[in-house]
Amino acid sequence: MSSAHYAPGPADHVPPELVRDFDIFSLPAGVEDPIAHWAALVDGDTPPIFYTPRNGGHWVLLDYEHIREAYRDHARFSTYQTPVPPIEPYPVMQPQGVDPPEHKRFRSLLAPLFTPAAIARMENGIRRRARELIAPFAGRGRCDFVREFSAVLPTGMFLHLMGMPEERLAEFHALSDVFMRSNDEAVRAANIADIYAVIDDHLAWRATHPGDTDLASVLLGARDEHGQPFPHQDLLNCGFLLFVAGLDTVTSTMTCIWRFLATDETARHHLRASLANRERLSAATEELLRINAVANLYRRVQQDLAFHGVRMRRNDRVVLPNSIANRNARVFANPTTIDLEREVNTHMTFGVGPHRCIGAHLAKAEIMVSLQEWLARIPDFRLEPGVRIEAYTGPVMGMRNLPLRWSNS
Amino acid sequence: MKVDVVIDLCQGHARCQDRCPEVFGTDEIEGKCVILQPDVPAGLEQKARLAVRNCPEGALIILD
Ligand code: HEM
Ligand code: SF4
Repeated sequence: MSSAHYAPGPADHVPPELVRDFDIFSLPAGVEDPIAHWAALVDGDTPPIFYTPRNGGHWVLLDYEHIREAYRDHARFSTYQTPVPPIEPYPVMQPQGVDPPEHKRFRSLLAPLFTPAAIARMENGIRRRARELIAPFAGRGRCDFVREFSAVLPTGMFLHLMGMPEERLAEFHALSDVFMRSNDEAVRAANIADIYAVIDDHLAWRATHPGDTDLASVLLGARDEHGQPFPHQDLLNCGFLLFVAGLDTVTSTMTCIWRFLATDETARHHLRASLANRERLSAATEELLRINAVANLYRRVQQDLAFHGVRMRRNDRVVLPNSIANRNARVFANPTTIDLEREVNTHMTFGVGPHRCIGAHLAKAEIMVSLQEWLARIPDFRLEPGVRIEAYTGPVMGMRNLPLRWSNS
Repeated sequence: MKVDVVIDLCQGHARCQDRCPEVFGTDEIEGKCVILQPDVPAGLEQKARLAVRNCPEGALIILD
C-alpha cells in the first residue's frame, strides 16, 4: 500500500461557489466563544455543504440530516485514516478508527463497562471526587473552573476506569493538563509519547495484577476468534483513545455549561429546583449538552460519490460539526433558545450510528453529579470580570480557563 | 398503546430510559434498549410517546 493511499487528491472537482475560507483550528482575535463562531456559519450565505482549502482541504456539512446520514453511512463515510490535516499513516484508534463490521470487536469489549447500569455503579465515585474538588475552594469565593474542577474530575474517572492506582492521579493530571493546554507541536508530541508510556506501563502492571472490571484488565484478558490476545499496539491505541475522547471533551463541555450558568440566573434557579428530580435534571442536562456540543468529527469519503448533488472524491475529508446540527430549526423548536424543559431533543452531541459515543452515559453522569454537588455548595456564581477567556477550536473546542467568583458567606 | 424497538437501529443512547424508565430499560452487555412493558400502562402513554420521539436513531415505534 503506497504511503499516500488515503491522502485527499486535488480539489479540481469542487465548484468555486461551494468554496469558503474556514479554518477549523483558528479563532479570530478576541473571540471567546468558539461555538458561536461555528454557529455563525449558518447565518450567512454559506452553502450547507461547503469546501474549505484550509488544513489540506476538506468539506464541512452544516445540515442536521446530512450530518446524521454521514454518521450512519460508514460504507460511504469511513472513520479509517481521517485526520485533518492529513497525516499518514495515522494510528488506528480502536474502536473509533475502524469501520463496521470489524469495529464491533473492540466496541463489544468496552461496551459492558459503559452501559447505563455500569455507570450508575460509578456515581458514588464521581460524587466523592466532585465533593473533594469543591471543598478546598468553596469558601474562597473564587476559582479557575478548568484548572480546579473540570479538567481534574474526568482525569480521576479515567484513572478509575483504567484501574490505575490512585497515587498516579497527580502524575496523570499533569500529563492531561499539558495535553489540553499546549498548542506547541514539539511539546504535544513529547506529551503524547509520555501518555502512551504511562498506559504501556500500566498495562504491564495489570498483566501481573489483573483486576475484574477495569478496562486494562478487560483489554488484556480479551481473545480474538483464534484464541489469541489482541495486538499490543491495539490495546495501547484503545487506551489512548479513551484518554483523548474522555477527558478533553468532558472538560470543555462542563466549562461551556458553567460559563453559561455563570451568566444566567434563571437557569441556575431551574437547575437548583431540579437537583433531586432525576427526570427533570436529565432533561435539563440534555439541553445543556445540545447547546454545548464541543466535538467536530472527521470522516473520509470511501469512493467517488454524489452527496445531495455535490461531487465528492475518494479520500476527501468531511467535517461534521455537531453544534450546528443541534441548532437546526427544522429539528428543534426555537433552536437558539435554551429551554431546560425541551420536550423533544434529538441532539447529536454524542454522534449517532455505530460509533455513538460509548462514554455518553459517563459524561452525562459526571455533568449531572457535578451540577448537584456544585449548586448545593455554590448556588450562585458569576464570571470574574476583566479576565480574558482563552478559547480554542478544532476537533474539540472549548476554553482553557474560566475564572469564576461568588460570595463566600 | 404498544411500543417496540428495532434493535438493529438502536445504538444505546438510553434517551428512552431517561424519559420513561417505567417502559424502557437497557441491557448490561451492549446498553441497548429493552422494552420493559410492551403494553404501555394507562397513564404513561404521554411519557412513552415523548421517549419514542427523543430517540436520536428513530429506533422506537408505536404500534397502536
Ligand atoms: C461530553 C463529553 C463527550 C462528548 C461531547 C463526546 C463526543 C463523542 C462523539 C461525537 C463520538 C462519535 C465519534 C465518531 O462518530 O467518529 C464519540 C465517540 C467516542 N467517545 Fe465520546 N464524547 C464525550 C465523552 C466521552 C467519554 C467520557 C468517554 C470515555 C471515557 C468517551 C469515549 C468515546 C469513545 C471510546 C468513542 C468511540 C466509540 C466508537 O467508535 O465506537 N467519550 N464521542
Ligand atoms: S433512545 Fe433509541 S437508540 Fe437509545 S437506547 Fe433507546 S431505542 Fe436505543
